[in-house]
Amino acid sequence: MPNEKTYYSLEADQHLVCHKCGVHLIKGNAVFEYLDNAFPVELPICPQCGFIYVPEELAMGRVLSVEKVLEDK
Amino acid sequence: MTDHFKERSTRDYHQKQLFSKEDLERRESLCTHEDPPFCNAACPLKLDVKAMLAAVTDGDFAKGRSLLEFISPFPEILAWGCDAPCRKVCRRSEIEESVNIPAVERAIMQHSVVPKAKGLLKLRKKQRLAVFGSSLFTLALAADMASKKYPVTLYTEAEDENDLLRRCVDLPEEILERQKPLLKKADLKICYATEIDRAFLESEEKNYDLICGAEYLKIEEVDPVTLCDTENRVFPHAAKKYSPILQSFFDARRAAVSLERIVQRLDPHNSRPQEGETESHLFTNLSYIPSEEAVIENGVYSREEAIREASRCIQCECVECFRGCAYLRAFKRYPRLLTREIYNNTGIIMGDHMMNKALNSCSLCGQCTVTCPNGYDMADICRAARENMVDTRKMSLAVHEFALLDMLFSNNEGFLAKKQPGYDTCHYVYFPGCQANGIAPDTVYETYRDLMNRKEGGVALMLGCCSVIAKWAGRRELYEEQISFLKEEMHKLGDPVIIAGCPTCRSTLREHFPEVIGLWDVLEEIGLPEEHQTLAKEVMIHDACSARNDVATQYAVRRIVTSLGGNVKEGAWSKDRTACCGYGGLVSYVNKDVATEMSEECVKEDPDATYVTYCMACRDRLKRQGTDAVHFSELVYGVSADDSPGLSQKRKNRKQLKEKLLQEIWEEEIMEEKPSFTYELSEEVRQKMEDRMILESDLLETIQAYRENQMAVFNEADGTLTSQHRIGNVSFWIRFTEADDHYTILSVYSHRMTVRTR
Repeated sequence: MPNEKTYYSLEADQHLVCHKCGVHLIKGNAVFEYLDNAFPVELPICPQCGFIYVPEELAMGRVLSVEKVLEDK
Repeated sequence: MTDHFKERSTRDYHQKQLFSKEDLERRESLCTHEDPPFCNAACPLKLDVKAMLAAVTDGDFAKGRSLLEFISPFPEILAWGCDAPCRKVCRRSEIEESVNIPAVERAIMQHSVVPKAKGLLKLRKKQRLAVFGSSLFTLALAADMASKKYPVTLYTEAEDENDLLRRCVDLPEEILERQKPLLKKADLKICYATEIDRAFLESEEKNYDLICGAEYLKIEEVDPVTLCDTENRVFPHAAKKYSPILQSFFDARRAAVSLERIVQRLDPHNSRPQEGETESHLFTNLSYIPSEEAVIENGVYSREEAIREASRCIQCECVECFRGCAYLRAFKRYPRLLTREIYNNTGIIMGDHMMNKALNSCSLCGQCTVTCPNGYDMADICRAARENMVDTRKMSLAVHEFALLDMLFSNNEGFLAKKQPGYDTCHYVYFPGCQANGIAPDTVYETYRDLMNRKEGGVALMLGCCSVIAKWAGRRELYEEQISFLKEEMHKLGDPVIIAGCPTCRSTLREHFPEVIGLWDVLEEIGLPEEHQTLAKEVMIHDACSARNDVATQYAVRRIVTSLGGNVKEGAWSKDRTACCGYGGLVSYVNKDVATEMSEECVKEDPDATYVTYCMACRDRLKRQGTDAVHFSELVYGVSADDSPGLSQKRKNRKQLKEKLLQEIWEEEIMEEKPSFTYELSEEVRQKMEDRMILESDLLETIQAYRENQMAVFNEADGTLTSQHRIGNVSFWIRFTEADDHYTILSVYSHRMTVRTR
């Protein structure tokens, strides 16, 4: 899906390292899903094991507010 | 995890009508908040008396004048000649003399000036109207139609405007003098000194589209509603219900409506607004109204006198439900409107359900049914709406999931059902309730020991939840399952009589079990234990909302508190009028702000008093507000409840209570499972977990998962690790540092969305 819209993009902080694989996280394609809705996003991801990092500000901010909106749809 | 907790989209085409149209209308009709005040209902011209008096009270005479001008082209004439049906129905007349409304109207006209602004620009109409006659009816009709931009010609025998006004009304010259500017301002063509007879009228008639014939045509029959004859000409009506001046203005108003319908080529009977006096069922509570002496009208009121008299207006409105309900006040809607919006909310298939929060923020306590003069039952409506939305899969699981899982915890890991040691059959079973087990485990322990010792017939014990949480959440299937589970467990104990420690458990279990009594009933029977505390002071009782209409329970608790030495002071919001503490209906999970306001509402009469409760949730919530609150069983057994335990602590308390009882009363050995690691949390992190409804057990599982899979992000800048673990429908994240097998938790957060790579 090369032309798919990205709802949110977060650069990988250069200090973030995958604890398991020992490699730096890079900005990668991910998708948030909730109640049959999907939102393509770009988040810091481990290039080896695919661990996706959701920072606290994102989880308690935009993710939470979108969850609330979808719950009342 | 059962199917009840499978998260589904709320976009579902299932639909089920919440109420039939008749049922909805029946429910809505009970709320009279939107009914007009009696003065307004009695006025045939529909003057907004309440708004007018409010404006004068604020010193805004210009607004008062504009309201009068809205109903009459010559308001001062009306003010002097109105027989004031409004005064006869003024509610203040039930206390003392009614508000002198016409006198205030006269003062408004005296102390305000004719507005200079011409108002909205209206397009001139084409249809021409001829009005024949020199009466107040013809003058009012001509002025009324002219203000609607119809070209109007008034034919009168009067010589000039003085003569015309004198022919219309018998009022002092100075008042008539003040009408002249109005007459000039009215866009009227007046033909003075016209000799009008039938022949003249018939010859002129053909030049006009609309005719007001007045007294010059002998009409066989005038329709009493439209004031039209068979040829659609309007006439004053013979029947006189009001004073001549009021009747003239009223007839002119009705005739004007008829003429407009004729212009629209409609039957004049069509689309008429409510005319004349109407019925109102508005309730006004006079018990809050202080007495205020009437201002005597000596000549016309001065400005100050008018303000003083206008301020005697009660400003009638029904706010009975609002007085005691923080929920209705928070959503700023009276039950009638709220019901309609909730009803519409359940019917939405695609789109935002704007009223979800509102229907989930009611504590279902039933106070409105007691305070409303017509017994409006908002709780039933909110409960039905929740059930409807769950049934049609439109209610998100997220709203109540935490509370439902808490209920399942109480009925699984926290559950215990045991017969009293040494008894094959027990006549009773003590059911303290999940809140008592979580908040006051030591008090529950002592209570059970006392019941075993002093209540004859054997007392079994059941720790669990009465399932009301599923009922409040509108999850009927889950509720039935939990009740069946409790029934099976009760059966294993030999179907004993249930001694409920909580009034909510008692009322819930009573619907499913033959005999459920309260702990207070038993204590009244067996007397207080010797070691009870003494309450040598004045106390207030915060009645449980689940004991509303349960006079026996309310009084039993009062007698116990009196036996403890308490001097019970009754408040205006006690017994059946009590407010919910904010726990009921799961409000505290859905809308923390409203729940807090509910708790504050409970102690508003005297925030510094000591409140004795008989529901542990009430005790806990009031105490959190800083109120001196105590559960009666704490006093009876001299054992205190925990000091505002958090969500995790409540669960721990339930588990520890179960283990302590098993060890000490049934002498069972408990295998303690200790985690293979240690962790520490700051108070700040604990508070964050409480606010975000994250349990310590979730935290432990997340650490455990990390220890097994080592999946985490290491931040080279600060040396912290962040790991994630999904439990059920929630992803939990922890930020921490690790030293051997010890973890220092720096932050905890969660989200319900799932995330994957693409």
